[in-house]
Amino acid sequence: MSDLTPPPRSAGRVLDAQLHLLDRTVLDRTGVPVTTVDALEITDIEVDTPIEPGTPAPVITALLSGPVLGTRIFGGRPPRSRLERIPWSDITDVGIVIKLGVDGDSLDLTWVERWMRDKIISRIPGGRHDPE
Amino acid sequence: MILNDLLGLDVFDDHGERVGSVLDARFVIDGRPGQTLAEARLDGLVISPHSRHSYLGYERMDMNSPAIINALLRWMHRGTFYVRWEAVQRITEHDVHLRNGYRRFDARLSAAPGTTS
Amino acid sequence: MKKLLGIALGILTAIGGFVDIGDLVTNAVVGSRFGMGLTWVVLVGVVGICLFAQMSGRVAAVSGRATFEIIRERLGPRAGLANLAASFLINLMTLTAEIGGVALALQLATSVEPMLWMPVAAFGVWIVIWRAKFSLLENVTGLLGLTLIVFAVAVFLLGPDWSQLIGQALHPTVSQGEHTVTYWYYAVALFGAAMTPYEVFFFSSGAIEEKWTVKSLAQSRVNVLVGFPLGGFLSLAIAACATIVLLPQSIAVTSLSQVVLPVVQAGGKIALAFVIVGILAATFGAALETTLSSGYTLSQYFGWSWGKFRRPAQAARFHVSMIICLLIGLGVLATGVDPVLITEISVVFSAIALPLTYLPILIVANDPEYMGEHVNGRLTNALGMVYLVIILVAAIAAIPLMIITGAGA
Repeated sequence: MSDLTPPPRSAGRVLDAQLHLLDRTVLDRTGVPVTTVDALEITDIEVDTPIEPGTPAPVITALLSGPVLGTRIFGGRPPRSRLERIPWSDITDVGIVIKLGVDGDSLDLTWVERWMRDKIISRIPGGRHDPE
Repeated sequence: MILNDLLGLDVFDDHGERVGSVLDARFVIDGRPGQTLAEARLDGLVISPHSRHSYLGYERMDMNSPAIINALLRWMHRGTFYVRWEAVQRITEHDVHLRNGYRRFDARLSAAPGTTS
Repeated sequence: MKKLLGIALGILTAIGGFVDIGDLVTNAVVGSRFGMGLTWVVLVGVVGICLFAQMSGRVAAVSGRATFEIIRERLGPRAGLANLAASFLINLMTLTAEIGGVALALQLATSVEPMLWMPVAAFGVWIVIWRAKFSLLENVTGLLGLTLIVFAVAVFLLGPDWSQLIGQALHPTVSQGEHTVTYWYYAVALFGAAMTPYEVFFFSSGAIEEKWTVKSLAQSRVNVLVGFPLGGFLSLAIAACATIVLLPQSIAVTSLSQVVLPVVQAGGKIALAFVIVGILAATFGAALETTLSSGYTLSQYFGWSWGKFRRPAQAARFHVSMIICLLIGLGVLATGVDPVLITEISVVFSAIALPLTYLPILIVANDPEYMGEHVNGRLTNALGMVYLVIILVAAIAAIPLMIITGAGA
């Protein structure tokens, strides 16, 4: 493959989905882990129909998490309503981790964490205190 | 659509001959500016003729040790090439079809974009 | 003292790998059946775990990422899940055994039925994880675990024939009446225990708990180079005690009381007191290590908030999963199963977990995106490749050896 020429250089940063995005940890504004990137959502490509030359390329719309992980491992497709999203616009930086500009608590996909905190952990004495 | 549905699909040229499978999807952050990051536009696909297994990071030029693992993965992914979005003619549920006269580019990444150096 | 506390993480991690309840008994079994003939395996294991623990600690200090995050990131969800399942089962089985082990140690001290101690032990582990600072838990268990050095003291007090002991170690032979296959079964079991994956999960996550940075690299090295050789030394001392006292009398080791028998013979009641404190600290420490490792691996795979440096409310799923693990462990123990037997079976899962843990560590330790200038050197990589092959061979051999020998029976 070394005899091939490199593709034209683009101005923006280059990210490979598999290499730089999928399965990386996502941290919220305060550095708390929120999820792992289980899948990516892109703008629709019309399946089974020829793509006209000049059609704008799809863009990433969101990082996905939740049940979609199961389908990635075992196959199948989750219903659209069950997708848990972090919109691309929430991301501030992509490095060895993905950083968000919002609080984890404000995201829908942290509902399990919030539920366990409110219903279980907070009710056990000491749950809201720093360790000693 | 979910990008992951695209990964691993078989890729065919316009003669209907299989040329490999989709190993990765390469994006460039140069779309419409957002609040902090611009939109990430699909620039093209990395296609590997012999293996669907992950490249484990060795598709980057600065990643080359341990030598044995590097050699093994480069061998598994020998002949890997890159096609730009313009070269994609049609995507179905099971495969990707390339246009007549599509061009192959070098698929290797020059440096880790995550590092600041 | 401050220096000693700085290496508590390495010592506690090594205790979980070399002298937890399963290893305490296995080491004594090995000594009573093969003498010092498996010394080389412990040495090979010590070098291997030093090598990879140091890599995982370095990755954690430089990049801030713990080992299971790396495993998921590099291997993807499928191979990552296979490793998670295997590692998690090892964690769960070992933590179950350690709670049983704490109860057995308390039985040695009090003669109260272990069944009654088990809930106390599990609650103790939970309350420490729930309330104690990470530095407190590692310092206390790490320091008290050092009292196991009494095994080494006992070796001297017993006044053995040193040339014979050293001869056995240098020229390993399969002792009379033992099968070669059984010898290799114990070789793989000892190696697997030395390299057991929860050590790197705990060590790398502990590095994050302690907020290590690039400046901590020297500290990481000292932790590794003191902790694991010390663990190996203790495990050899236990085997030597059994070789001197139990082997000549052909006493088969089946319980903890036989493990401590040589120490009592050498040093009487005071030695017994030391050894009980040591075993209690070691099993309790290993219980903490494996319970936390269960939480760490799950959280890091799924991207949950984790860590004892956070309040429990800020790492809810992490704490809930550990509570569930402890309850499952208690449930298993309630069936009356032998805790030592559980750790023997868990070796089988190492066959999957070992290669899938150490390969990604080796790869990421070479990744300039994570490591910058702190990538592996050539020597480390050469050794890493050699150990990857050894690990692979041991992993493949583990299951057939276990079936053929009936777990060393």
